[in-house]
Amino acid sequence: MKKTKRKKKTHVPFRMNMMFFVVFLLFSILIFRLGIVQIVQGEDYQRKIERTEDVTVNASVPRGKIFDRNVQVVVDNVPQNAITYTRKKGASQEEMLKTAEKLAKLIDKETDQVTERDKKDFWILKNEEKAKEKITDKEWQKAQENEISSKELYQMQIDRITEKDLKTLTEEDLEVLAIYREFTSGYAMTPQVVKNKNVTEEEYAIVSENLASLPGVNTTTDWDRSYAYDNTLKTVLGNISSSREGLPKEMVDFYLSRDYSRNDRVGKSYIEYQYEEVLRGQKTKVKNLTDKSGNVLDSQVVREGQRGNDLVLTIDMDLQLAVEKIIEEELGKAKSRGGHPLLDRIFVTMMDPNTGEILALAGKQYEVKNGKAEMNDFALGNLTTSYTMGSVVKGATVLTGYMTGAIHPGESLVDQPLKFAGSGGKSKSSWFNRGGAMSISDTYALMRSSNVYMMKTAMRIGGAKYRPNGPLKISPDTLPTMRRYFGQFGLGVRTGIDLPNEQIGFQGELTQPGLALDFSIGQFDTYTPLQLAQYVSTIANGGYRMEPHIVKEIRQPIAENGKLGPVVEEIKPEVLNRIDATPAQVKRVQQGFRMVMQSSQGTAQKYFRGAPYNPAGKTGTAEGLYDGPQREKYIERGQEVPMTWNVTLVGYAPHDNPEVAFSVVVPWAYQRGANSASINNIVGRKALDKYFELKAERAQEEKSDVVIEKDIRAKDEADNKEDTDNQ
Amino acid sequence: MTSPNKNSSRIDYGLILILLMMFITSCIAIYSAQTTGQYDSNFVLKQVLYYMVGIGIILVVVRFDSEQLMGMAWYLYGLGIVLLMLLIVSPPSIAPRINGAKSWFQLPGLSLQPSEFIKVFLILTLARVLIVHHQKNPVKTIRSDMWLLIKLGLVTLFPLLLVMQQPDLGTSLVFLSILLGMIFVSGITWKILLPLFSSAAALTAGIFYMVLWHPLLLEKYLGVKQYQFGRIYSWLDPYTYESSTGFHLTRSLLAIGSGQTMGKGFGYREVYLPESHTDFIFSIIGEEYGFIGASIVVSLFFLLVYHITKLALGTKVPYYTYMCAGVIAMITFHAFQNIGMTIGLLPITGIPLPFISYGGSSLMGNMFAISLIFSMTFNERQYMFSSDR
Repeated sequence: MKKTKRKKKTHVPFRMNMMFFVVFLLFSILIFRLGIVQIVQGEDYQRKIERTEDVTVNASVPRGKIFDRNVQVVVDNVPQNAITYTRKKGASQEEMLKTAEKLAKLIDKETDQVTERDKKDFWILKNEEKAKEKITDKEWQKAQENEISSKELYQMQIDRITEKDLKTLTEEDLEVLAIYREFTSGYAMTPQVVKNKNVTEEEYAIVSENLASLPGVNTTTDWDRSYAYDNTLKTVLGNISSSREGLPKEMVDFYLSRDYSRNDRVGKSYIEYQYEEVLRGQKTKVKNLTDKSGNVLDSQVVREGQRGNDLVLTIDMDLQLAVEKIIEEELGKAKSRGGHPLLDRIFVTMMDPNTGEILALAGKQYEVKNGKAEMNDFALGNLTTSYTMGSVVKGATVLTGYMTGAIHPGESLVDQPLKFAGSGGKSKSSWFNRGGAMSISDTYALMRSSNVYMMKTAMRIGGAKYRPNGPLKISPDTLPTMRRYFGQFGLGVRTGIDLPNEQIGFQGELTQPGLALDFSIGQFDTYTPLQLAQYVSTIANGGYRMEPHIVKEIRQPIAENGKLGPVVEEIKPEVLNRIDATPAQVKRVQQGFRMVMQSSQGTAQKYFRGAPYNPAGKTGTAEGLYDGPQREKYIERGQEVPMTWNVTLVGYAPHDNPEVAFSVVVPWAYQRGANSASINNIVGRKALDKYFELKAERAQEEKSDVVIEKDIRAKDEADNKEDTDNQ
Repeated sequence: MTSPNKNSSRIDYGLILILLMMFITSCIAIYSAQTTGQYDSNFVLKQVLYYMVGIGIILVVVRFDSEQLMGMAWYLYGLGIVLLMLLIVSPPSIAPRINGAKSWFQLPGLSLQPSEFIKVFLILTLARVLIVHHQKNPVKTIRSDMWLLIKLGLVTLFPLLLVMQQPDLGTSLVFLSILLGMIFVSGITWKILLPLFSSAAALTAGIFYMVLWHPLLLEKYLGVKQYQFGRIYSWLDPYTYESSTGFHLTRSLLAIGSGQTMGKGFGYREVYLPESHTDFIFSIIGEEYGFIGASIVVSLFFLLVYHITKLALGTKVPYYTYMCAGVIAMITFHAFQNIGMTIGLLPITGIPLPFISYGGSSLMGNMFAISLIFSMTFNERQYMFSSDR
């Protein structure tokens, strides 16, 4: 026993010591490795932690302003107080919720944007314990064994939240939620508007004071569009989306690929939409240096932002307003006079026939809402609605006759009621000549608006000869041919205006060749008021179809209010095409148009007699089944849809050197006795008068400006003289 | 009751001092770790509580002398096996699967990891097997040594298999290291040990080779799970697997490395590391107290091992010597593996840092082991006084 013990003693201490040595070795390795990691590589690791991330953030800038041709502000930006939240990268839910709770105590926030789902998420966030109880023990067990994913578990909780549960959310909770929602919806590091509408001075002040305890929250200035002329032209100016709406859904990809963010405000319609690229401006690009946990270490402005470029419109706001006033007056008068039950709109387009610049684009719609009559802006109707225009197109018919060689300038044709076989004894005749037969010239035909002259022209184009009561043998090509020629004037084709959603009108659906006769007097296809303006401009300027445009210049923004920056781009007049007619042929039609307004037998002379500006033009009356907004009512009631008269007028002035062309369209103006049509002519006359009146006024102003300047100079000179005298 | 005067010489003040330093380190590190806010509990308070319980364990265990401990060994071993088997048959409500391993009892107000205690039971049992063997075979032969080896192996095998199926690789490795340590000091001839150790080393190397170059074969023939390979891959090349299995290692390296020589100071951490209050507590220490602090903690463990080795060399009771060897092996493996994995020296396994990491079962298991060391001084001196003088 003793021997073994001694033997043991010989090996055990040795082995123990050896074991201790191994332990020593192992721990030495640890220390050695620690030395490598902490001392040798320590700095590298430290640098790795400090390695910053660059986060580039785009800050929005205000949109460009919109001016009229006389540099009066039409659309401006007004600053408004805003409270924003900038989410730190990697900010936790709790942090954001805490901040939201604090902020909710300071400001009022409407809760109508909060969705059911938001409430549920919020309820779970607030009632963790109760939310856990929504899951049975069995399900928890399954979750622990990974049979149910945490996502499914959460969905189960969401599904099991009852109305009653949600009712436990107080008003204050909902306000917190509404704010929290805004917090989470933005991009990291990009300021997200929490509230920008109706931020009171008090709210603004109290939030500003407490910024230190509200991480991420800031008080700043947002901007909003303001319209100097309220609803005037609003439909044409278009809308922009709110920051909540952000990018329009159908165009998200388009915009995102162009450096927009989802909550950017963009033009949704018309000018704001069409000129988005110009108006949007250049965002401020800020490069933020952050550490790994998202704290901003440094901010650098990479690119200074710039407010969007300004637009100068071709519109003369004074003229626009005046024309709108004329429309409102006449529309109001007609409605109160009675006898115009279906009349509800009047359009006037005025443009410079030499450049295509739209001077006024006025349209009003009379609507009765809740028993109250309203005149709503419908300027847009000038290019988005079309009507049968009647005789105003006769200038195009005559010129088509010339261009096809069917008739020659000065050619006379017999005006007589036209009767064809199979027309059931009905005849087609001119207003001024219901019975007899008279030989008339082209200009006379225009002056008195002969239907028969136009129809016979169309028949000639189609190779048909008139035999009383005989069949109408006309080439089926006639209608397409005439349409093609009308297109040269802009009738039935895109005018090319710089606005989206332009309509081109409808072509008559029937295809009988004889309908070319109706077409020739404007009773078949429909055209927009803008097309009429382009058409009459083409005649006025000697045959050039000008592209109409509503933006004149793009200007760089400058800080000074009410002043324009340097021109970025000038929209130059563009000739879309020249009609095939010779200048002499166009002159002939111009002659006819002048006679309409200035000869004693002209259809519009009654209204334009004595006008000092040498006007020319063409009246029009189109008869047709009512196709306006109330048509459905008639059909519903089983009543016959009534026949109505659209009355129109196109014109320009002065005749020899036109500077303004216009179209007036009054759809569904009358139901009987349209030969006494006056509203179109009255509106046209007043509009033209106004144009020249404004022109005279401005000339006067300029003159007096010059005079004042001269006076000042004279006075300065006198002062200088005095000074020198004194010396 | 023994008089305080008499008692004082029986108390191992050196060990108490080391433990006290461990305790302080633990509290500071856990306090710092829980500022990450991953969990809501106050772990420091709980850890203090566990230390109290641990002191209670010590106070009880010191009452037993070597004979009594030897007598209890098999019963405790049996209890451990029963607990492990109970774990297998227990329903998930009592023994849930946590992080994929079924190794915990979770009863209301108490959660227990039996394997932490079984480590100590295994030490006691292996020591007893050694003593009994040496008594029965006073003359050492290669044959008797072989037989001893088989007995030790078998005793270890049962708990090892039971723990491996949980599956808990870390604890299995602890069992193996305890076995290895005790075989080492058992006096088994080098003629057996040398081939045994070298073949074990060769096997390990072979497995690594297979994992790295022929993983599919291993999966096919050994049924090893893919995630266990992942640990090895991410250990060797953590940055490639940074977003998945390499996450902990890269973060830990970042934390410890950036602590540099002097550390960042208490509470000044920059690297977020999940679970840093338990297995990755050393990362906190490394980051906040740098190379100096980390080295002190390593030294503390070394001091502990030194202290136990000294006691083992001084004792006249062979059972104590073997016990010490087992405890040394256990603590060393724990410390080396845990610290090693945080600095990329070893693959990541779920092993806590003894006395420092937060965790009731782990701490109580270790305190139980330490209580054995306390009981040595407490009982041996008494024996020395009564017999030798």
